[in-house]
Amino acid sequence: MKNRKRLIIKFIAILVLSVLTIVMVGPFAWMISTSLKKSSDVFTEIPTLLPRDKKTGEIYINFKNYLNVFKYSGIGKAFLNTIIVTFSATVLNLLINSMAAFSFACTKWPARKKIFALLLSTMMVPFYTILIPMLFITKSLHLYNSLLGLIIPMGGSVYNLFLMKQFFGNIPVDLFEAAKIDGIGWFGLYRKIALPLSKPVLTVVGVTTFIWHWNSYTWPLVVINDPTNYTLQLQLSLLVSSSGGRYSLMMAAATVAVFPILIVFIIFQKYLIKGITLTGLKE
Amino acid sequence: MKKSKIFASREKLAGILFALPMLLYAGVFLIAPVVLSLFFSFTKWNMRSTPAWVGIDNYVNLLTDSVKYPYFWHSLKVTLTYSLLAVPMTIISGLVLALIINSIRKEKLEGFFKVAFYLPVITSSVAVAAIWKWVYDPMYGLLNTFLEAIGLKGFNWLGDSKIALFAVAILAAWGCGGTMLIYLAGLKGIPDQLYESAKIDGASSFRQFFGITLPMLKPTTFFLVVTTTIGSFQVFDIVYVLYGAGGGSYGGPDNSLLTFTMYIYNHAFRYEQMGVACAMSFILFIIILILTIVQFKFLPQRYD
Repeated sequence: MKNRKRLIIKFIAILVLSVLTIVMVGPFAWMISTSLKKSSDVFTEIPTLLPRDKKTGEIYINFKNYLNVFKYSGIGKAFLNTIIVTFSATVLNLLINSMAAFSFACTKWPARKKIFALLLSTMMVPFYTILIPMLFITKSLHLYNSLLGLIIPMGGSVYNLFLMKQFFGNIPVDLFEAAKIDGIGWFGLYRKIALPLSKPVLTVVGVTTFIWHWNSYTWPLVVINDPTNYTLQLQLSLLVSSSGGRYSLMMAAATVAVFPILIVFIIFQKYLIKGITLTGLKE
Repeated sequence: MKKSKIFASREKLAGILFALPMLLYAGVFLIAPVVLSLFFSFTKWNMRSTPAWVGIDNYVNLLTDSVKYPYFWHSLKVTLTYSLLAVPMTIISGLVLALIINSIRKEKLEGFFKVAFYLPVITSSVAVAAIWKWVYDPMYGLLNTFLEAIGLKGFNWLGDSKIALFAVAILAAWGCGGTMLIYLAGLKGIPDQLYESAKIDGASSFRQFFGITLPMLKPTTFFLVVTTTIGSFQVFDIVYVLYGAGGGSYGGPDNSLLTFTMYIYNHAFRYEQMGVACAMSFILFIIILILTIVQFKFLPQRYD
């Protein structure tokens, strides 16, 4: 009797979750579906998930919107720019944050604790408070309106530094001591011991930084004004505000902007979800 | 012995060298901007001119001069209303999702739903704005088509000043997957013994929820309320894409979506009043600082 009740509850839970899945994932399906429709078949009285010709009722797939988006909107260049910026910024971020994390966790030098506390305190400052001076400094360094201006000013992250420092701090000291006896230098300790042992945290930080940069909008918005340097998000936002009712085109561009992140997320979802729960709880 | 001595003397140098790139970065792009922002907030400046010192005029005018800055208090009100809508919706949906997922106790299914519900979180706000602009379309959008199909009346979701703010807050709740994950971790941390002894005492599942689950999740809830509030006080991207980009009205219908960050953006990049914008951004800083202090003060330090 009890088992049966439990089974019913489980069944209801899965049913409710399936409905909720439609709410959460449905808009993505709708985006892809619309992007594959001919513009004449986008507006229908009864929405159809599969592209269906209004007159003949035939089901088809049509990639013309993608072709048009790449041909006329400059999204190809934007895609390339985004890849350059995202990869460089992620690598730069991993490099300088892991070096600093190694320094703060594994070496002793004067004032390091105070400096680390000062760095941590900058996490309280909202991005919009420093946005204008950051832009001013970026302009002064002649990085304005260039891809470098998207990479260098976003090259470090105190949050990532904090995560990596926690991880490096948990590496057993014995490992370092043994390597020191073998005559390995400080760079060797970082390169041959700290880094290889920290693959999990490097993966989490790398993937979240990658996604963050790919999706970033406000900073490119104020730094870039030349369309040849547009990122995907800038290009997409231009389409959103200017394409009027041409939703099939807009959805094709949105799919192009979302798809790479979707793939990255599905490949790394285990790491990511673990990372989010950890960092979220520990602040 | 010798070797370790060399190590000790070299340690300082190595440590400083390893930290140097990050220290340079933080000095130039994190710490200097805070100082500069405070300085510029006391000046009249358009980023090209030399800043002219005006003392606390910017702050006084923003707070009191309703002719010069007619939307200052309005934008604060919009932001507060938005937070009052978005935060509870995000937290409650996240909790409900976590509770249902936790009740199925099947790892594979759990993993699937986690990924599915997290998708909106990893989607860029520009793409979210694009997708929902289409779903919200007053004539052919999915939402109105659905509402009309079940006999209700559709709305002009993004164009009606009475509901546009609510419609945008729904987009925040759509991204409740992050909240859900943190709640799930919190739920897993509740010891099973508590439920077992409650069952022996004959407590109903209703009582168990209000007597055990909710109180045990209190620290998680508090943490989420504060961080989500801090986030929603800075809502910008989605609002800007929907209402600002491409020379739109910038504040939505009847300025009903003129959030605080939108107002900062307008002053900085439309009216070229960088000094005023910096003063506003410092007011934002103070608001967020208060929220952070509240969090540190009331949240137990260790609860993991």
